[in-house]
Amino acid sequence: MLRMDKNDHAAIQAVLSGNKNAYGALVVRHSQSLFRVAFRITGNEADADDVVQEAFLRGYLKLETFESRANFGTWIYRIAVRCALDKISSINRMNDRMRVGTETDPEQDEIQVADETAGPDRLLLSGEIAAMQRDAMFSLTPTEQAAFVLRHMEGRTTEEIGDALGIAPNAAKQAVFRAVQKLRRRLSSLKVRT
Amino acid sequence: MRHLTEEQLIEYGYGEGNKAFIEEHFAACRECEKAYGAVQSDLAEMKFADPPQREQPYGHNVWGRLRQQLPDYEVRRRNWLSGQWFRGLSYALAAALVLASAFAGGRLWERRQAEIAATSHVAPLPPVVKHPPQRVVVVVLSDHLDRSERLLVELKHVDADSTEMVSPLRDEARSLLDANRICRQNAKQDDDPALTGALDHLDRLLAELANEPGGLNKATITRLQDEMNKDGLLFEVRVLRSRIPHAQGAGVESSKGGTI
Repeated sequence: MLRMDKNDHAAIQAVLSGNKNAYGALVVRHSQSLFRVAFRITGNEADADDVVQEAFLRGYLKLETFESRANFGTWIYRIAVRCALDKISSINRMNDRMRVGTETDPEQDEIQVADETAGPDRLLLSGEIAAMQRDAMFSLTPTEQAAFVLRHMEGRTTEEIGDALGIAPNAAKQAVFRAVQKLRRRLSSLKVRT
Repeated sequence: MRHLTEEQLIEYGYGEGNKAFIEEHFAACRECEKAYGAVQSDLAEMKFADPPQREQPYGHNVWGRLRQQLPDYEVRRRNWLSGQWFRGLSYALAAALVLASAFAGGRLWERRQAEIAATSHVAPLPPVVKHPPQRVVVVVLSDHLDRSERLLVELKHVDADSTEMVSPLRDEARSLLDANRICRQNAKQDDDPALTGALDHLDRLLAELANEPGGLNKATITRLQDEMNKDGLLFEVRVLRSRIPHAQGAGVESSKGGTI
């Protein structure tokens, strides 16, 4: 990691000295991690690719503000999270405009499965449950969604989430709590308690 | 006992919060422990599809697309710097222009005020500067000729037998004698022969009136009256007196101006 940081800093110095191609090494090195978090937040590959592209572009343009003591990986990851947040915010706004006023009846979305045992029915329907969970995810606000992804899937701490989203740690904690609370209620309708 | 909130249970489920306090609470509260079991189960069920694996050249592909969009950093930085410099320079020039304008305006205003003040203060002075010292003498001469004319008129018509009338003539002649000498001296310096000649005649007459040994008697008065008539002194003084009014006017003004 230390060697990678030194390489990152050397590449950054080279870029700032006028060697644009040195940025390529940084892009190659951090693309995978950015794609991963971008996909988890946006939910599809095309949007995730856009987010990765946008994040590296923003990073390049703001490279002069990068502090030499910081970790480039963390810095560009934070930029990618904000790009992803912007992406899903714009998607949500577009969906809101396209909505024609028909609300889905939650009862029709219910898939009733037993939750006590991992029986064959449950296994068969697990794929559908996963799809429903994804839908439930998109019922969250963009901030809740991003906070939940960072907490639940990326394993980030409350402070890291707040830092990445540009909000206070307490606000990040509340965002995670509201997301989990909403998802639990949404998912509880999929279960038939025995 | 107060139960734990859902928020506390979720926080604990993610490995945060006051762990010692919550575990101690679970030991004493089966209900909260059961509630945490449900939270734990739900969190465990929240499994989402893993991101699709990207091929190894993914990073290179991203860079390939990105590279074309990136401006050359040094050029961009130079442009940025030049933009900043230009903006800073513009602000500095604008500020300097405002300051210079204010300074120049202040100086002009100050100069104008000084000119106005100088004009208003100097205005009464020119008469003083314009009038040479002899103007003072003109004033004295005018006055002196007035008094001399009155004296000569009185002398012409005086009753030689009345000593009461003669005595004031002698006193007046004495007081005019010094002034007449000053006027004559000044007329001589000014190279004014007519005035000098008239003042010479007047001087002799005044000297005799003032200093006649044995006092003014009838014979002396008659003699002086004859000399005055023969020389036409009264006429001469009146002519000189008539020359004075213009100068006298200026002289009066100058005296008002404080010269005297």
